[in-house]
Amino acid sequence: MLYRTAGQFKTSYRRDQALFPVKQDAFLLGIILIFAWVIFPLTASEFAFQALLIPILIYSLAALGLNVLTGYAGQLSLGTAAFMGVGAYACYKLVTIFPWMNPIVAILLSGFFAAGIGVVFGIPSLRIKGFYLAIATLAAQFFLVWLFEKWGWLYNYNASGAIQVPNLDIAGHYVAGPQAGSLTQYYLVLGIVTVMTLLVINLTRGYLGRMWKATRDMDIAAELIGINLMKSKLTAFAVSSYVVGVAGALFVFMWRGAAEPNLFDIPLSFRVLFIAIIGGLGSVMGNYLGAILIVGLPVILNLVADAHLADLPLGWQVLFVAVVLILAGAFLRMREYWALAITLAVAASIVGYGVAQTYGFELSSATVEHLNIMIVGSLIVFFLIVEPHGLTQLWRLIREKMIIWPFPH
Amino acid sequence: MKKLTRLAAVVAATALTAGAVAAEGLNVPNLSYRTGPFASTGIPLMNGQRDYMDMLNARDGGVGGVHVDFQECETGYSTEKGVECYEKTKGDAIVTQPWSTGITLQVLPKTNVDRIPILAPGYGFSPMADGTVFQWAFNAPSSYWDGASMILNYLSDNDLENLRGKKIAFLHLDHPYGKEPIPFFEAKAAEYGFEFLPIPVGLKEMQNQSAQWLQIRRERPDNVIMWGWGAMNAGAISEAVKTKYPMDQFIGVWWSGHSADLALVGEDGAGYKTITWSKPVADAGVMAALQEHVIDTGMTASSAEERAGVFYSRGVVMSMILAEGIAAAQAEYGVGEINAEQLRWGLENLNVTDERLAELGMTGMIPPFATSCSDHTGHSGGWMLEWNGSEFVQVSDLLTPDRDAIAPMEAAAAADYAAANAPWPVNDSCGG
Repeated sequence: MLYRTAGQFKTSYRRDQALFPVKQDAFLLGIILIFAWVIFPLTASEFAFQALLIPILIYSLAALGLNVLTGYAGQLSLGTAAFMGVGAYACYKLVTIFPWMNPIVAILLSGFFAAGIGVVFGIPSLRIKGFYLAIATLAAQFFLVWLFEKWGWLYNYNASGAIQVPNLDIAGHYVAGPQAGSLTQYYLVLGIVTVMTLLVINLTRGYLGRMWKATRDMDIAAELIGINLMKSKLTAFAVSSYVVGVAGALFVFMWRGAAEPNLFDIPLSFRVLFIAIIGGLGSVMGNYLGAILIVGLPVILNLVADAHLADLPLGWQVLFVAVVLILAGAFLRMREYWALAITLAVAASIVGYGVAQTYGFELSSATVEHLNIMIVGSLIVFFLIVEPHGLTQLWRLIREKMIIWPFPH
Repeated sequence: MKKLTRLAAVVAATALTAGAVAAEGLNVPNLSYRTGPFASTGIPLMNGQRDYMDMLNARDGGVGGVHVDFQECETGYSTEKGVECYEKTKGDAIVTQPWSTGITLQVLPKTNVDRIPILAPGYGFSPMADGTVFQWAFNAPSSYWDGASMILNYLSDNDLENLRGKKIAFLHLDHPYGKEPIPFFEAKAAEYGFEFLPIPVGLKEMQNQSAQWLQIRRERPDNVIMWGWGAMNAGAISEAVKTKYPMDQFIGVWWSGHSADLALVGEDGAGYKTITWSKPVADAGVMAALQEHVIDTGMTASSAEERAGVFYSRGVVMSMILAEGIAAAQAEYGVGEINAEQLRWGLENLNVTDERLAELGMTGMIPPFATSCSDHTGHSGGWMLEWNGSEFVQVSDLLTPDRDAIAPMEAAAAADYAAANAPWPVNDSCGG
């Protein structure tokens, strides 16, 4: 009813294999794209661009790259951050050696360096699998970060050992470096992320993607039906590293502005891996949901803790009440009492916090940080218990329910 | 549903009726780190900074009668969080205190665009001293290159020729911060013919430095100079005790002189030295004022042991530098609520003399110094402190850096920075 698929007949194979066989999906995506392309850029503040929108997009892209390798081709990798680093350092060398080069071209080219390195470190995957391969990619992680530290040429022998993004312009308009505006950088990141996502969606739906999935599901069976495992695994490493490398270049050039080698150390790899796992392995949308949860949520929680809730403009308060009511109503109708209880508990604690603030209660920023870590951590555990296949699966179930609503199974 | 409606009504009612007082005054955010791997060294510093501002608010109603809104934003020493905090706080802030060399490096290029002064007392990028290039950055009272020079002057009795033929190991955090003084040491080693041996400690090896100390034992350097931070200091000091390295040949930078790190080894650490531009003076007037207005009223988060240490008093001194900058700007512009542009002028015209220190009740806590349009550091010089087994005591007179050697290096590095970040506006109005 909410998501009525009746009447949407697929009368040809082409229509059956369309990107969005269900009209509502395309409609929803359209709304999201309008938000991303028009409404956010018009309304977002400098802080929202720098702390929420740009990092979420970049982390999503990195997770998308990892998902090609781990989610679609089934090759576990712990070296994502190192491949991001290769992209970033390659981009830095490109723009310093060829200062006339268009920054977008440099960013897209730097992915190829990452792809090359990725293929080299992917060679062990031809002989080893699973945890053993994870250790091999871990070697890439340690080796490459060590290289970023020790090879002075990579950072132009800068005394601090860090790379710093110079001011880069396209036709007189700054796109990277301190002079660049957040709006420009946002659009650039959004454009590249959109194109990459489209590319990956179609790759995974096509010949390569089927080959990867066959390899993932059972490599011996795949070999028996004539799939060349070497080609399958190495293309997965190449495509994945390319996307990750581009994400790394964006990470430094469009967001951070400077980077030291240990930025690309294992914690970043884990972060990207968590985004991919919590979002859902083997999905494209999951990367975005995962990045919103892992990158965006802590920032939002910090904002909530800092804001004087009672002083917020009326519009925000109305919005808050409306969101709570809609969610609570929806969960009530769906008889999801756990979800209902959680929604109400969260809303009550926010209101309680707001009331306490008016009586002079204030959390110190260190306490907020501790609380933040606890909340995000417990949410990760919660989501993985509720839905081990990630947030995408959660959305798939909700969508399924909406399609057959009001009739339960 | 009825219950929900009622709940919503309650929510709306509380939200509408409640009204809190908006924070007024001078917004001076601090990007603190009371969590994460460096928290042990961060907390005493942050407490000192906060307590001094709280004291001014309680005693004088702020600076020049204007309340100081000292907000902390927690970074956990993570550069990513630091940038988030910077973006969050920069709105109506008149200064930013980035608190890590990594965050400073990220924020530095943006200052010309955002026009907010960076105050990085005793850390950050040494060439920030060149105020003509780094118009918005201040690292008063002393830069890392100053510190390196003071250590060498101390080791050589102010004649670097005495170092000829010696071997000096440089144990440092493998991070922009630890690498900062290397160009200076290398230049001096080439000039005066001593052997300079950099020994990096990776972020992951901070607590296990057996490989580094094995190397030190093999190389037998005449001195070990340390640029360490957080857990690295305690790791190095306990490892030095374990390998029986002579403590009196071991010298740290000012961030490696945390009393609590030395208290772990106690007597065994006697002889360890640290260069510093601030030291605790238990009977100083400012400490009594802090006791009266902040500690006795229960506003502080610090402990008595912490307040006796080097780092707490350094935090107090840091806030004093900021407060003096604010006061200078207020006097110049004749307004209480100064803006970022005016504070920049104030920090450029700091004049902390002996008389002023006496007025502030800080005699002996920091050497006198003054900044100018072209000199954003002040180059106060410093003292050598030595751990006597239970506390740090001063063992030298005021040491001064070799400015004639450092200034050209700063100018060259600043010019390189400006060239790499072109277009970079340079302030030509300083005239030297």
